[in-house]
Amino acid sequence: MISITNNPLNLQEIMFELEDNSAGALSIFIGNVRNQGRSGNVSEIYYEAYSEMAEEKMREIEIEAQTNWGIKKLVAFHRIGNIKVGETSIIIGVSSEHRDEAFEACKYVINNVKTRVPIWKKEISKESQKWADGVLLE
Amino acid sequence: MRSDIPGNDKIKVRLFAILRELVGESEITITLPKGITVNHLNNEILKKYPQLKSFSNKFVTSVNCKVTAGNTIITSKDEIALLPPVSGG
Repeated sequence: MISITNNPLNLQEIMFELEDNSAGALSIFIGNVRNQGRSGNVSEIYYEAYSEMAEEKMREIEIEAQTNWGIKKLVAFHRIGNIKVGETSIIIGVSSEHRDEAFEACKYVINNVKTRVPIWKKEISKESQKWADGVLLE
Repeated sequence: MRSDIPGNDKIKVRLFAILRELVGESEITITLPKGITVNHLNNEILKKYPQLKSFSNKFVTSVNCKVTAGNTIITSKDEIALLPPVSGG
């Protein structure tokens, strides 16, 4: 299940979506906004997405994870809008039969979301606002 | 250039992040002769919005949600977007 949402992310909802009695392993990555960025102190981050394309690219990454590691389920939720320090911007959850596939697929998905999905972030502090450097899509 | 002249296409282009802020709009419309390519469109955008010139090698163009080569021919039915470097997660 893939979602780009303006709403706060709910770990319980993600755990519910991952439920699968044939899966012995769940791996979950949670990305939070931290108080330091490349430009210094950060109080919040503004995230913006090209949602239609972002969800399409995330589904593409999901299929790759299923093909490469035979995972049972994937849940990838990315929050957009203004997100304060300490709040969660992304949760990736993977279920699989055994732990190695879950760990590896989860890492693959978050790394690829960061470089292949059209989402942008602007670091905001009291003094400044700056779009983060990023990666050009291919 | 008038869009109601036969042979012209009115191309809508979505802008994101820093490009949207520099132009002040999330969508712009460019009128060009039918059969133009992504490169033609981008050149026209840079002429019309010179504030984007310093970013000319810092964005890619997507057509119908796929990053597309400059020689791709586009029409008014395509969904076009200019995408600066991504930084999600």
